[in-house]
Amino acid sequence: MPALVLPVQAQDAGDPVPRHYDGNPDINGVWQAINTAHWNLEDHNAAGGPAEYGTLTTMPPGQGVVVGGEIPYQGWAREQQQENFENRWREDPEAKCYLPGVPRATYMPFPFQILQGNTHIMIVYGFAEANRTVHMDKENPEPAPIDSWMGRSHGRWEGDTLVVEAAGFTGQAWFDRAGNFASDTLRVTERYTPTGPNTMTYEATLEDPNVFTRPWTIRMPLYRRLEDNVRVLEYKCVEFSEELLYGHLRRREDTPTGDDP
Amino acid sequence: MATYADAKTPRPATIPSASAVAAALLLGLTAVPAAAGDVTVQLTTSARSEAVKWYARHLDCEPIETRAEAIDCGNAVIEFNQGPIMGASQGTGIDHIGFSFADLEEKMAELEAVGVRGSGVRLQRYDDGSTLREEPGLFKVGRIFDPWGTRIEVVEDLDTLGFHHVHLSASDPERTLGWYRETFGGVPESLRGVQDGLRFGEVWLFASEHPEGRPAPSAGRAIDHLAFEVADLDTAAVGLRDRGVRFTMDPERPAGGRSEAKRGFVSAPDNVRVAVIEPGWQGVDADFGSDADEVASAEPYVVPRTPWGTPDLQGMWSGNKAHGIPLERPEELADVEELTAEEAAARRERGTLGSIWGYEREWRDTTLGYVKSAPSRQVAMIIDPPDGRIPPLTEEALERQRNARQSFGDYVRRRPAGPEDLSAYVRCITRGVPGMMMPSIYNNGLQISQSPGFVAIQKEMIHETRVVPTDEREPLGPGIRQWLGDPQGRWDGDTLVVETTGFNGRTNYRGSSENMKLTERYTRLGPNRLEYQFTVEDPTVWTRPWTGRFEFELDNEQYELVEYACHEGNYGMTNILSGARARDREEAAAAAAETGSGAQ
Repeated sequence: MPALVLPVQAQDAGDPVPRHYDGNPDINGVWQAINTAHWNLEDHNAAGGPAEYGTLTTMPPGQGVVVGGEIPYQGWAREQQQENFENRWREDPEAKCYLPGVPRATYMPFPFQILQGNTHIMIVYGFAEANRTVHMDKENPEPAPIDSWMGRSHGRWEGDTLVVEAAGFTGQAWFDRAGNFASDTLRVTERYTPTGPNTMTYEATLEDPNVFTRPWTIRMPLYRRLEDNVRVLEYKCVEFSEELLYGHLRRREDTPTGDDP
Repeated sequence: MATYADAKTPRPATIPSASAVAAALLLGLTAVPAAAGDVTVQLTTSARSEAVKWYARHLDCEPIETRAEAIDCGNAVIEFNQGPIMGASQGTGIDHIGFSFADLEEKMAELEAVGVRGSGVRLQRYDDGSTLREEPGLFKVGRIFDPWGTRIEVVEDLDTLGFHHVHLSASDPERTLGWYRETFGGVPESLRGVQDGLRFGEVWLFASEHPEGRPAPSAGRAIDHLAFEVADLDTAAVGLRDRGVRFTMDPERPAGGRSEAKRGFVSAPDNVRVAVIEPGWQGVDADFGSDADEVASAEPYVVPRTPWGTPDLQGMWSGNKAHGIPLERPEELADVEELTAEEAAARRERGTLGSIWGYEREWRDTTLGYVKSAPSRQVAMIIDPPDGRIPPLTEEALERQRNARQSFGDYVRRRPAGPEDLSAYVRCITRGVPGMMMPSIYNNGLQISQSPGFVAIQKEMIHETRVVPTDEREPLGPGIRQWLGDPQGRWDGDTLVVETTGFNGRTNYRGSSENMKLTERYTRLGPNRLEYQFTVEDPTVWTRPWTGRFEFELDNEQYELVEYACHEGNYGMTNILSGARARDREEAAAAAAETGSGAQ
C-alpha cells in the first residue's frame, strides 16, 4: 500500500463539528481510511504474495474491523470465502479493475471525495472511477431500477449521523482481498458520524440472509486528508487489468500472425 | 402473398426485427363494397421525409408534389406517420407488403449493393444464402426490410408491377378475407391458381395463418394500418355499423388534417387497425414535438441559486435532443439559420440509422423516451469560426497528420494483436473531453451535482465523473498528467466556466494533443435548457481556437443515470480479440497448406 504521511490531528472533543448550510454536519472534503481492512476485514497475520516481487506484494498484518471479531458466514459461505482467498490473484474483482461495490470502496487505499449538496450527496472514489449518488430528497427508499456494482443509496440524517441505506447490488463484488463476499441480496446500512472536524466514525451493517447467519457490522475511523490542494486523482486502472483479463487472447510472438507483410 | 411450399405462414421469430421503421403503412383501399378502386396503404415512420426518400430510391415509388409525407407506388399510396415505432410488422396482423419488378434478379443485385448501413436495405436470405428463389407455379420471390421494420416481399409478377400486395397474418385466414370482402368490397381471385385472395384494383390482399394463431395488434408497429376509401364516410359508416363493424374512432376531420376529407378507424379481425377515408384525403400534419422552453415568457429567466449562493445547475440533463447535430456546418447549409422541424427529425433519423442497425429500434424509441424530445434544429455545433468549420491545421499538425494517415491506414488494416490496438473508448478507459460530452444514440444522461466550492459533472457513458473546483487553486504539478486533464472552474455571472489543461495526450479530440486547453461554459438558458459551449485551443494543432455549442435538456422526471459499467461488461473486447486470433489461425493454416502444396 502507498506510504501515507498524514498530519492527522489529535481529535479535540472540544472542537465543534463543522456545519453545512442546513445545520447538519458538513462532511464535504477528501477522506480516507487508514487500516488494512482492504486486505482482510477479519484479523489477519502477515502473508507473502507472488515471490518474484519480494516484499512488495505481501499482505501486512492487521487487526480486524468486524465488530465481534468474525464474519457470521453460513457454512458453505465460509468455504466459498476460503476458495476465493486461494484464487484471489486472478479472481479478486479489484485485480480486474471492476467497480468495488459498497462498503469496499470506502476503505480501499485510495482517497474519496464527498460532495454534500442540497438534494443529494455525491461520493467520488479514487478507485476505478467509482461513484455513488446518495439520494437525500426521497421520503422513502426507492427500489433500485436495476442491479449495479455500487447499488442504489438513500441517505438521511439521524442527529449528527448520516445514515445511508444501500441495496440493489450485483452480488459480484468482494469486500476485500481475502475473498470476503455477499450475494445480490446484500443490504448495507452505513453510518457516518463526525467526531471532530477531521475525523468521523464509519460503520456499515451488512445483511444478507443468503450468505450470513445474522447481520454484522464493521467499524473504523475515517480521516480527512489535510494536505494543501489534495485531490482525488484519476486512477483509470482498466489498462492495468487487460493482461489478466485478455492476455490469453493476445497475439504472442510464437503465434503465427495474419498480418500483411 | 407468399404462401410458400416450405413456409406456409410468415415466421416472425426467424427474423431479427430491423431497427424501427417509423412508417405506418396506410394502405388506402377503396372501401365501397364491390367497387374495387385505388388503394392507399399507410405506414408509420419516425422520419417521414427519410421514408419517402427510401421508397422512391429503392422501390421506384414517385413522390407526390403536394404531400411530403406520402408516396405514390403506382397501385397504392403509402403514407408515413411520424412517431416512435413499437416493433416490426412481422408478428402483427399485417405481416408484410409486396412489390413487383420486371427483373427481380437485377433489383436484388441493386439492393444487395446498397447494404444495410445508414438508410440501407436489409435482405433476408434463404437457407442456401440466396436472396431470391423461384416459387413453383408463381414467379421469383425475395424478402427485404425497410430501415424501420416493415417487411417487404419483392416478386417478379409481370402481370402486376409496382405495389403488388398486402399480406395479412390471421388466426382464421378464410374468415379474415371474407370480412374484408364483405366490408370493403374486393374481388375474389386466385393468383395463378396457387393463392386465393382479393383484388382491390391492381392490389392483391392475401391472408395466411399466423404460426401461433395470435397476431399482435398492428397499431404502433411498422405497418400501423391499412386504409380504404369510401365516397361519403358518414353514409358509409351507417352501413358499416349495420354490418356490425366497430369504429374505434368515429369519422371526423382529424386535427392537423390537410384537406376536408374525414377519416375514421375500425377494428378488423385480429386487431388490425383499418382506416376509412374520404376522397381527397391529404394526410395529417406531423407532430414533431415542441421545444420545452419554446413558449416565450414575458419574464426574463432567473437562474436559480443553491442555498450557498452560486448558480444552481444541478439536475439530470439529457443530450438526446442534440443528437444528430454535426460538429461542422455542411457546405450546402452555409446560409441556413436553422433547420425546419421536419428537417431536424430527418437528420436525427439519419444519425440513428447510421449507427444502430444492430439495435432494436423499439428499444431506442420507447425505453429511452428518445423521441419524446424534439430534435434540435441547430445547423451545426461550431459557432466560431463563423463559417462553422474547424480552422486549418498548423504546419506542424499537417506534417504529423501526413505521417499519421500512413499509420492510421495500417491501423485499419491491422488486426488487433491485443487491447492496446483498440481505442480508449473500445477499451472502456475513457471517451476523453470534450468527447464524453457529445450526444450519442443512447445513455446521454448528464448529472450535475454541486457542493460549496465544487461541481461534479458526471456523464452516463462511461460513468466518468469530473470533480471541478470552483475556488481558485494551484494546478496539479507538471509531473501529473491525466486522461481528463486538470479542471479549474469559476463562476462568470450565471455561467460555470471550466478550463482544463494537463492532459496526458493519450486520447484526443479531433486531433488535439496534450497541449490542448479546453474551456467549457455551462449556462442555464431556461428552466429546462442548459447551454454547453466548448472552446478548443491547441496552438500545436490548429491555427486558431474554435468553439462549439449545443444544449442539454432537463429530464429530472424520467431520467436516472444507469451505472454504465463499461469495462465490467466488455464482452466486445473478448469477442474482438478471439475473433482476431481465429483469423490468425485460419490464415496460418492456409499459408501452411499453400507451402505444403508448393513443395510437392
